[in-house]
Amino acid sequence: MSTESIAWPSTPVESRSFVDRLHEWIATVDHKRLGILYMIYALVFLMIAGIEATVIRIQLIRPHNDFVSPQVFNRLFTMHGTTMIFFVIMPFLFGFANYLMPLMIGARDMAFPRLNAFSFWMTAFGGLLLYFSVVGANGLYGAGNAPDVGWFAYAPLTSRTFSIGHSTDFWTLALLVSGVGSIGTAVNIIATVLCLRCPGMTLAKMPLFAWLNLVMAGLVILCVSPLTAAQMMLVIDRYLGGHFFDTQAGGSAVIWMHFFWVFGHPEVYVLVLPAFAFASEIIPVFSRKPIFGYPVMVGATVAIGFISMSVWAHHMFTVGMSSAANNFFVISTMAIAVPTGIKIFNWLATMWGGKIEFKTPMLFCIAFLFQFLVAGLTGIMQGAAPFDWHLGNSYFVVAHFHYVIVGGILFCFFGAFYYWFPKMSGKMYSETLGKLHFWLFLIGFHLTFDFMHIPGLLGMPRRIYTYEPGRGWDTWNLIVTIGVFFQAAGILVFLGNLIWSYFRGKVAGNDPWDAWTLEWSTNSPPPVYNFASIPEVKSRRPLWDLKHPDDPDWEYE
Amino acid sequence: MSMDTLARPDGQTKKTIEMPAPTAWPIILAFGLTLVFAGLVTSSSVSLLGAILAMSGAVGWFRDVLPHEKHESVSAIKTISPVSTSRPRVAAVEWMTEELHRARLPLEVYPIRAGVKGGMAGSVAMAFLAVMYGIISGRGMWYAINVLAAGFFPGRHALAQIGTFQWDSLLIASVLHLLVSLSVGLLYGATLPMLPRHPILLGGLVAPILWSGLVHSFIELIDPLLNQQIDWLWFALSQVGFGIVAGIVVSRQQRVPTRQHLPFAVRAGFEVLARIDKKDGGEPR
Repeated sequence: MSTESIAWPSTPVESRSFVDRLHEWIATVDHKRLGILYMIYALVFLMIAGIEATVIRIQLIRPHNDFVSPQVFNRLFTMHGTTMIFFVIMPFLFGFANYLMPLMIGARDMAFPRLNAFSFWMTAFGGLLLYFSVVGANGLYGAGNAPDVGWFAYAPLTSRTFSIGHSTDFWTLALLVSGVGSIGTAVNIIATVLCLRCPGMTLAKMPLFAWLNLVMAGLVILCVSPLTAAQMMLVIDRYLGGHFFDTQAGGSAVIWMHFFWVFGHPEVYVLVLPAFAFASEIIPVFSRKPIFGYPVMVGATVAIGFISMSVWAHHMFTVGMSSAANNFFVISTMAIAVPTGIKIFNWLATMWGGKIEFKTPMLFCIAFLFQFLVAGLTGIMQGAAPFDWHLGNSYFVVAHFHYVIVGGILFCFFGAFYYWFPKMSGKMYSETLGKLHFWLFLIGFHLTFDFMHIPGLLGMPRRIYTYEPGRGWDTWNLIVTIGVFFQAAGILVFLGNLIWSYFRGKVAGNDPWDAWTLEWSTNSPPPVYNFASIPEVKSRRPLWDLKHPDDPDWEYE
Repeated sequence: MSMDTLARPDGQTKKTIEMPAPTAWPIILAFGLTLVFAGLVTSSSVSLLGAILAMSGAVGWFRDVLPHEKHESVSAIKTISPVSTSRPRVAAVEWMTEELHRARLPLEVYPIRAGVKGGMAGSVAMAFLAVMYGIISGRGMWYAINVLAAGFFPGRHALAQIGTFQWDSLLIASVLHLLVSLSVGLLYGATLPMLPRHPILLGGLVAPILWSGLVHSFIELIDPLLNQQIDWLWFALSQVGFGIVAGIVVSRQQRVPTRQHLPFAVRAGFEVLARIDKKDGGEPR
């Protein structure tokens, strides 16, 4: 790769009217703009889902509370879960994959730019359709509103007997629509990684970010398709006289569980693999060392991809499966801890002996390491069927799950925001506000989710509307709710930082972190074509090779 | 996405790069499809409108890409922004010589077959100790085998048959035992070169005792009935027996230089690499 082949300025842009600018964004097929649209969309829904979570926690702050009605409470936890998984985390990961993938592999755009735009808009309209249920789901019965069947919508709750009106239909159709978008994006990511890598970038020289997103995209295709099929079957059950999930007519409610969790558990890895991708890029740069054990990290990623498709029924130990099934899913669940553990060891080994810089992205990644470890350990505990029989559907499960999604994934997403914000905006964020965000969110997270395990151990069921005093749950619930306000304050600081830094931040330059992957070789923000000349690379760290011509990586790879 | 180059009088080079043209058809198609679905729970007229929009979007999209994809030209003026670093010096560990610079540690490893041999030898030692326990304790030589497979046969460990021969238990226990032994043997092979001192003590005694303690701590939670059937002293002894035998067998194998620096295709035996010696001018020989 030569230096002069990669740095080109943007063409000067004359001022345009608001309508012209709006049209540019709506009609764009540029992967960077679509990536930013995904992220803004996810941030909006993060605020909505955060408000829902706050209301849920206010309701549970003390016994016999009636801050909201039971009906509203059911809708809140359904919408919170659905929104966070499908309309916050997934758009976040697709946004980052869209923005960064072509830049990291030295391409000008995604393989199918128009499909990319179509996929984003399907995802966006899916979210709008879900929230349209709040005003549009009353149906003929006047009894509907937002969906209230929980984010995994077990049968027979979803049957017309128990779910009159159209609230469940909005849930079904919204996920169906956004699922089409997800599959489109996954196809695009796979095609981009496999077909558009720059000269010299063999699969073994790809950034780990690309590897992890490649496996993630494969998982999306494998796991979203069954969910989409199940949603169609549910629509058929509800309106065309089907009996797929109607036990009394020869169907099976358990089949829905299988369909949902054959999506639902790989989905956790769909969400966490991009978080791993961020950690795998951020930790080496702020440790000033190459990633430890690249081939093993790739192998562990692929292993996670395979094993994650064989663990789904550990969500169903309490259903009453056969011993053989229980044993199989216990063993497979334990097995997936091995490649995941390898990754954690490798990140620690990357930091070991490095010159660690505790910038905001690194702080979030370090917190992620420890929190994800705890999340994994409680996951192994629940992966043992007898343990799960005791704690299934308790707040222990809720705490574990949020440890994964918030403590693992969301922390990495925040780290990624701070790390790539200078590239996307051309401006540096405020390090002071970044650290304030980190500490507020860290304190809030641990107040909420550490202490949430305890009422779970004491028998507090998930989704409970309120509870009797004197069961030993009162104080824990109070602490848990207080933590939510710290988290909310952290997120407000984060949003304020993004907005303030975008308008008032210092100019970042092309490579503020002295990093090693290709996106840092082009302008900040990158021009529409990314690279004037397609770069050539010789190693996994092409910018290291340029910065240290006397000691290049390619001599050792 | 092609590129044209134009020479400019000032010496700079202006390039025209073709990028996919912006288009509104994808959003129209997406909106149309969403309305088709939304109409199922609102009004058929919404679905009809959605179908019309979706059809328009699809036709418009096709016309965008067939017979040739629409592009827009984007111009760029070349300026050279050298890639630089504020840390030009590369830190090295003090004891590193030039030859050890960026060496893959450990320099020598055991071959995979050493781990296989160690695992198999350890499995025999462990099986011997387990059977000996059954005989000495009077519970029968099949006792340990049935206990190992008990997870697959719930309820069986509460019955008298746990001390008797069960072919299905033998089959499952054998597979489990061999698989785990093989895995641990391979682990020994991989980790022994990295244990600085007393590898047999660490791998043969300390690790098995820690492992036994770990299993003891959680087996009661997972399967209290199974926990009652286990004699923990003998359990730990059998682990130690495995560890010492596997460790000795592995450590007696010949070490080989690490091949981590070679491409995977070479390590897997798909390709043969000509030897390159930089001191001899870097020519393959």
